[in-house]
Amino acid sequence: MSESTPFRAAAAGRPVAISIRNVSQRFGDAGSPNEVVAVDDMSLDVRRGEFVCLLGPSGCGKSTLLNIVGGLFPATDGVVMVGDKPVKGPLPRDISFVFQESTLFPWYTIRENFDVAFKFQNVAKSEWASRTKQALEAVNMGAFIDHYPNQLSVGMRQRVNLARGIALGTDIILMDEPFAALDEQTRMVLGEDLSELLAKTGKTIVFVTHSLAEAVFLSDRIFVMTARPGRIKSIIEVDEPHPRSPDFMLTPKFSELRNQAYALLRDEVRQAIALAREAEAAHA
Amino acid sequence: MTVAAARVPAASTPSFIGGMSRRAKVIWTRRLVLLGLVVAFEIYARFIGNPRLFSPPSAIVYALFDEILVDPRIRGAIYQAFTEVLVAYVMAIIIGLVVGLSVGWSNFGRRSFYPIVILLYAIPQVILLPLFVLTFGIGPACKIAFGVSHGIFPIIVNVVAGMRNVNALYLRSASSMGASNFDLARHVYFPHMVPSLFAGLRLGMTLTLLGVILAELYVSTGGIGYWTKLYAETFDPAPLFALIAVLAVMAILLNELVRIAERRFTRWRN
Ligand SMILES: Nc1ncnc2c1ncn2[C@@H]1O[C@H](COP(=O)(O)OP(=O)(O)OP(=O)(O)O)[C@@H](O)[C@H]1O
Ligand SMILES: [Mg+2]
Repeated sequence: MSESTPFRAAAAGRPVAISIRNVSQRFGDAGSPNEVVAVDDMSLDVRRGEFVCLLGPSGCGKSTLLNIVGGLFPATDGVVMVGDKPVKGPLPRDISFVFQESTLFPWYTIRENFDVAFKFQNVAKSEWASRTKQALEAVNMGAFIDHYPNQLSVGMRQRVNLARGIALGTDIILMDEPFAALDEQTRMVLGEDLSELLAKTGKTIVFVTHSLAEAVFLSDRIFVMTARPGRIKSIIEVDEPHPRSPDFMLTPKFSELRNQAYALLRDEVRQAIALAREAEAAHA
Repeated sequence: MTVAAARVPAASTPSFIGGMSRRAKVIWTRRLVLLGLVVAFEIYARFIGNPRLFSPPSAIVYALFDEILVDPRIRGAIYQAFTEVLVAYVMAIIIGLVVGLSVGWSNFGRRSFYPIVILLYAIPQVILLPLFVLTFGIGPACKIAFGVSHGIFPIIVNVVAGMRNVNALYLRSASSMGASNFDLARHVYFPHMVPSLFAGLRLGMTLTLLGVILAELYVSTGGIGYWTKLYAETFDPAPLFALIAVLAVMAILLNELVRIAERRFTRWRN
């Protein structure tokens, strides 16, 4: 980690959007054999307009942390502040989610899906149509507004899903492996779109991914997590202004950061696999 | 869905029955089978069966217009039975949905209350009919209550079953957007459980009708049950069958209503 990069200087001046303080999460009854410590005493700050990535082995508590930040369930310990509000439940006006699998309701058309989202969020009805149209056009899906999700390909569906997350108009978007089910090319194109969006709108994004390239390409900072129980192992800063062009991926800086991330992650992944084996052996 | 699939090759497959489309063939086959049954029934009742037990369809139709529909007392009884069934069914749907949703909402609810529901469902309610009479008297209230007691169980059971396996991500995503519990029920649970729910609604309809008619037969001083009993005891099959036909039409009508509603809610599956 370099000491003082231009980005850091810029970001340091910005207010904190999300502050995670000593958050821990346990599943199962304390002391019982099926007790799992998913997140262990994590603290981190995300500044406004920052793109932050959580990178870590499977099962290390990334989704759990994201759900806690979004108020979907309370943490066993610790607090999360969004702006100056402690998170006690969903904050639909401040935070929206984009999940891995498309969470568009299969029983509604794309339009109905957007409408129902606005309804949940209490958006004035007069805005629904224009916001839907604008968001869909941003991902080139305007022509499919009256289709059912099942009539779209996985990639198209996830683009619509992303558009919905953006249409909700929150300052913070939490993304849990939004591109995991997509092919490499679509993934990269959407990544570029996202980088552009960030530059244009200044949204704060916390992003979970297993892709090293994606993490480096998109992030301002990458939080590398340890195997379970999840803690922060290291922070990698990516000092490159948004919007980033695909050319960034060809630079030596990119490969260097990518390798750095991989080196940090490798041992943790091994550790996670060992943990899984152990659990399986204990189960048998 | 099967209907849609069958419709695809319908275009204009030439066939031996005068170039009829496959769909038309299906429809005509159905009609011929029904017609054949009526004719067979007519022949059996006219020439073979005991005329005190069976009545040919022609005589039934005649009795329908000559005895049943012209008698204001019987018309009143039919109207009353129809109202009882309708009221009982609407109540069964409301109670069934509310109970089913509350029981199925959480694992805790399902595990604590569902076995009790199943237990109650297993009791043949007929043995409780005297209790219903004692509680609700012999008027329409008794029949409605008895109909409800039959109708709610399949609805509850199917609602609970339908709520299972709802994608947790849909719930999570909806909650993150600010959905209330009512929103979740309306926009996630309900559409998810539609197939199961409607299976329950149809079964519930049949059982509501059964409950109302059972109560009618058991305690009736002028309702449809009274007339049925009267015709049966006086060995007068034609008006009896006509009355039964009226009840059957009632059942079919209600069933159609449920089916239309179901189609409206499952459009997205095609
Ligand atoms: N509701 C739950 N009940 C019990 N254990 C849970 C629950 N949710 C998560 N866990 C456990 O917590 C740990 C962290 O899960 P989490 O889903 O946060 O991991 P993750 O980092 O998102 O993994 P992946 O990369 O595979 O998505 C896992 O060991 C998981 O088994
Ligand atoms: Mg996850």
